[in-house]
Amino acid sequence: MSEMKTPPTLQTRRKFLRTSVLGAAATWTLPVFIEKTFFALNALAADAVTQTVSGKDGTILVILQLAGGNDGLNTVIPFADDNYHRVRPKLALPPEKILKLDSYVGLNPRLVGLKALHDSGELAIVQGVGYPNPNRSHFRSTEIWQTASDANQFSGEGWLGRYFDNCCGGADPTVGVSIGDQSPQAFSAKNPTGVTFSRPEQFRWKASTDADGKPLTDEETFYRQLIGAPEENAPTEGNSISSLPGKMHYDASTEDFLRRTALDAQISSDKILAIARKYKSNVLYPQGPLGGGFNLIARMIAGGLPTRVYYASQGGFDTHAGQIGAHDRLMSLVDGAISAFVADLKQQGNFQRVLLMTFSEFGRRVAENANAGTDHGAAAPMFLIGGGVKPGLFGKYPSLTDLDNGDLKFSTDFRSVYATVLDKWLRAPSQLVLGKKFSTLPIV
Amino acid sequence: MPKSRWDDRAAAHLLNRAGFGGTLGEIAATKAKGLEAAVDEVIEAGANAANVPAPTWAHPGNIGAIRMEARAAKRNGDASKLREVRKMEGDELLDLRRWWLNRIATTSAPLLEKMTLFWHGHFATSVAKVKDGYWMWLQNDTLRRHALGNFVTLTKAMSRDPAMMIYLDLHQSRREHPNENWARELMELFTIGIGNYTEQDVRESARAFTGYRLDLATQRFWFAPNQHDAGPKKFLGRSGNFNGDDVIDILSKQSACAEFIGRKICRYFIEDEPSVPLVSLVAERIRAHNFEMKPLLREIFCSEEFYSERVMRTQIKSPTHFIVQTCKALECQLPAPHIAQNAMRQMGQILFAPPSVKGWDGGKSWISTSTLLFRNNFANYLINGDGILPEPIKRGRGDLGFRASGKTLAEEVHRLPADVTKIVSAEARSGGQKLIAELSLRILQKEPPAQDAAAFSKFLEGRNGNIDDSAIRGLIHLMMSTPLYQLA
Repeated sequence: MSEMKTPPTLQTRRKFLRTSVLGAAATWTLPVFIEKTFFALNALAADAVTQTVSGKDGTILVILQLAGGNDGLNTVIPFADDNYHRVRPKLALPPEKILKLDSYVGLNPRLVGLKALHDSGELAIVQGVGYPNPNRSHFRSTEIWQTASDANQFSGEGWLGRYFDNCCGGADPTVGVSIGDQSPQAFSAKNPTGVTFSRPEQFRWKASTDADGKPLTDEETFYRQLIGAPEENAPTEGNSISSLPGKMHYDASTEDFLRRTALDAQISSDKILAIARKYKSNVLYPQGPLGGGFNLIARMIAGGLPTRVYYASQGGFDTHAGQIGAHDRLMSLVDGAISAFVADLKQQGNFQRVLLMTFSEFGRRVAENANAGTDHGAAAPMFLIGGGVKPGLFGKYPSLTDLDNGDLKFSTDFRSVYATVLDKWLRAPSQLVLGKKFSTLPIV
Repeated sequence: MPKSRWDDRAAAHLLNRAGFGGTLGEIAATKAKGLEAAVDEVIEAGANAANVPAPTWAHPGNIGAIRMEARAAKRNGDASKLREVRKMEGDELLDLRRWWLNRIATTSAPLLEKMTLFWHGHFATSVAKVKDGYWMWLQNDTLRRHALGNFVTLTKAMSRDPAMMIYLDLHQSRREHPNENWARELMELFTIGIGNYTEQDVRESARAFTGYRLDLATQRFWFAPNQHDAGPKKFLGRSGNFNGDDVIDILSKQSACAEFIGRKICRYFIEDEPSVPLVSLVAERIRAHNFEMKPLLREIFCSEEFYSERVMRTQIKSPTHFIVQTCKALECQLPAPHIAQNAMRQMGQILFAPPSVKGWDGGKSWISTSTLLFRNNFANYLINGDGILPEPIKRGRGDLGFRASGKTLAEEVHRLPADVTKIVSAEARSGGQKLIAELSLRILQKEPPAQDAAAFSKFLEGRNGNIDDSAIRGLIHLMMSTPLYQLA
């Protein structure tokens, strides 16, 4: 399909497809087929309220999910608390190695990049984040975080999906981008929006033949996918959770859902591929899916994709046994990927308008188990990183002795963090999105 | 269901849901049998099909010694020894996936494989943590032996299954501090579902399963009485010196258990969002049949509900289903093992490596912009072969990170275009509505929606009368890119 001369803003390519493709092309390549047969769906999108700010010039939120339940106690460590060393005879890290933030807490020794961000005033840590009546199931707790519901409420729609529905009507489908093969439940919406991809080179249709009926030959990238090395031996070892996207919900019929997904892919794919080809980074990212994912996000930001929310995930945090080595490697992996991402954004000059937020479905039990691991717990810290954050420690570190069934009690509701991000960063009405008013924190 | 409604569509539906889709010939034969005989055959075909030979390498070894060797090699910096061990593990896994996918595609008992895949998603276990091909094969074999049998028996077998034990840390659970991983997922994901037990029940159940061990020299389960907590326990309102099997028996008697399994069976075989009355009905039948799967499935496949318009052609095909049915429709071989393995990964269903202990969510979760694009592009490769790839790659030049095992790059990726003469009758090959009708029946198994049909006609018109094999393959590719083709 030919590129437009002026960049699509609000009318977006959905409307462009509706108004300009018809009657044109005589060659029925697959993309044309998709556009012509699916265009009827676009009327709704093109007529909806238009998005006033896009990620092209406005603020951007990047979410990193730590799937499996990250051990918050060995991430942000209360090294000065004797109880920490008492209940974790095997797992407690030696105080001299901990990267101290103040006289009480410090970071895991592997988080050197985050420590540097702390020192340069670009890292905020919210301590003791959780919610009332914590659920210790990976799947239910993930769902609670993804939908921002109460522990006893069930909502099909994700908190970001509600943001897209309420604040981004008529937006380009790339308003939400998730890296991987499956959309997170947080993106689930009444009007499904958001695209998912892991390799931009694959992210387009390959027609069988070109306009002259000759076989197309530019298929190398598809071929790469076919032969790429398997990734299941990537660092998800030592646990039974490698990803937790949550379950998607839609009200529309399955066939409508398929048509809409095909259309969204078609609308976005040329642009994403063009950006991926044009923008390369000279920052060295760690190898593996997480580093690759952050690299991709940085390139999309550099290329001005109108995305407001990017989503990436790293699994492997369900450390029931032999935690030390596995958790160390994960900390290094996350630290390396975030550090490279930040360096890249600074080089681009975009660090001021990007906010990176981490979360995990729960922390882990305070006391270690007999397998030098930890079982499912409750409250844990969150990281917020960006040129626009107010740095420092927020919230209260939970007591290691006043516990709820062996688990840390939360002091900050995770939805207060979401409300902060919505109100103060995305400039969206948090009450409308979260269905309730939550107090905000002075982080951004 | 009324006999009058047993037609080609219904027969195709039965083969889609109780298997991985039928060819035109299989659909016609199934229809000719009549409903009850057809369902009988689907169910009973499994009787002898479990005894297919295992892959040659699938036998127990002294894994403890092998791992010690690998660790020593790592310590001593013996890179070649380490590579050798890893290559062996990787080759076994690749071969295991080839073995199962091939079995699914060629079996005379598709329901047995469909149920084995169901249980693989239910008792989800990933090689990413188990790291051994034999143990993964053994679990697959155990799942198949019980696939159409009794759920309670199967659950007990899973509690002693080495791959499962490693995946959920059960083999390390000790009396003085039981590991809760298996105990929790047994209730949450395998039997009664969340909301039907307390944290106290998790702890008590974990105690009951202490003492389960693995012998690394023989790769077998054993029970260590001195590691077992034989003391009294309170579990789901009952008291006793329960062991692991007692816990499973108690769980199966909870009313939530039949509901939980019933809901999953409904989602797998009938519809994505089954109604509460439907789930209750299936749960009631599960109880009536004492968790025996064969009679339950027979009733489902004979029911009117199963063949309702609401149910037929509304289920998104799993990636396994997609590959197998596409190759059947094209009358062609499965892609080479590396290609199939990577395609499955791109589509979100790596056999023997589900994303978490919850298995695959299925339904709409199979489809994202990324996986849908891949399905269309992969169909293109299956239809047009390596002709769609650039010359240098077809000749096997250039390093693209490919690690061929024995075969060269070009051999692995080489694939001829689908043979149009096997797919389309001589009369239809000249094009027109006859061609569209024939291909629609073969590929879409029904008439396409009007707007898609119009597009197919336009596509052929655009060839200006030049309807050669490549045009026909182009039309097949369009059909396989429609929403309807994603549905079974």
